[in-house]
Amino acid sequence: MPDLPKKKVGIIACSGEELPEGNVTRLAALKVLEQLRPADTVTICLPLFLAGGEGDRAFARFYPTVAVDGCDKRCAARATEMYSGKPAASVVVSDLLTGDELGQIEGSRTLNEAGRKAAEITAERVASLVDELLGKPAGRPVEAVVEPAEASEPEGEEAVVATCSCGSGIPVQKVAVNGRAVTLIALPAIFQQFHQAGKAPGDGTAHELLEVVKIYNPIPDEEEEAYREALEREYAAFYEKQEVPA
Amino acid sequence: MNDRKRKVVVVPCSGIGKTYGSVSREAAYEVTEDLRPADTQLVALSLLVLGDEETRAAVADSLVVTIDGCKLACATKMVQESGGTVARNFAVLDAFRRHREFKPQGIAELNEGGQKLAHALAEEVTAVVDNLSGNGGGKENA
Repeated sequence: MPDLPKKKVGIIACSGEELPEGNVTRLAALKVLEQLRPADTVTICLPLFLAGGEGDRAFARFYPTVAVDGCDKRCAARATEMYSGKPAASVVVSDLLTGDELGQIEGSRTLNEAGRKAAEITAERVASLVDELLGKPAGRPVEAVVEPAEASEPEGEEAVVATCSCGSGIPVQKVAVNGRAVTLIALPAIFQQFHQAGKAPGDGTAHELLEVVKIYNPIPDEEEEAYREALEREYAAFYEKQEVPA
Repeated sequence: MNDRKRKVVVVPCSGIGKTYGSVSREAAYEVTEDLRPADTQLVALSLLVLGDEETRAAVADSLVVTIDGCKLACATKMVQESGGTVARNFAVLDAFRRHREFKPQGIAELNEGGQKLAHALAEEVTAVVDNLSGNGGGKENA
């Protein structure tokens, strides 16, 4: 797999509403995202794998992902694998806390003390998995505290990245293939990487581009040539823009 | 089919990325735990995403009220995908526009504005639930 700028870990919590452990996953994920590893993690709402677009479904193919589930139904892990990609790691609260002396976790809406402690333990476990996946030293200190999300009106215009409501921000680009607009995941990052590597537009580069783009996007065999032509055209335009002196 | 004897299923999006998702979740809890526990049933969206048969059946066999935190409307789309009938969809953003005096903040923990917005939304949902369940307390039609 190419070394694309994706050095973050995706965190997907089941957030199950019916069980206290679902609330534990939600709070644990938020603690990692907001406090423990804010610079190294991103998230996405689980239902966006079905309700969202290609950029959303590519989440676990783009980011190594940690699924955080409350119970052995493992909705987050299984749905992520079904619709996006196999999680790199998985945590199940009910397994993680086996043998712990926390007491009964209660409060699907508002956690009791045992539940809050369970969220802390789960968050620490997820943070350590993030460190492992990124190859960073274990037990790093807390990075920063993110300010609480403020209410704001949604933007009206189409975003240039496939952000979900959580702002996962996988870069995408639309290109014309056989006369129709196709959204290609990670293409801006791939173009950037090729340019930085000094690869000039041309037939050989277009073939390389196609191979890299195929990692993140399903491309039918019979359309590979059309995609290759489109990539050659788009990369030439991108390259020309980069070469223009400021 | 006698819908009047069935519980109304409430499905919030519970979005994790912005405060509106937490408002949807809190409003759903308020309806199903505090305001109309006997008439409503909370359904976990993650089970619908997974395609859990029991949950899909519950949704397909009931009138459903969805509460979505953003325009992507995950809760509504997932209920429809699961064969359910969305009797009424609520958007937190619309509620926010109706109640601009409440400024929600926070995801893990809603601030006072978020709690008040969730409460206002829960009351709107409850009115629809009353109408759907035939309690006679409904203030508007679904």
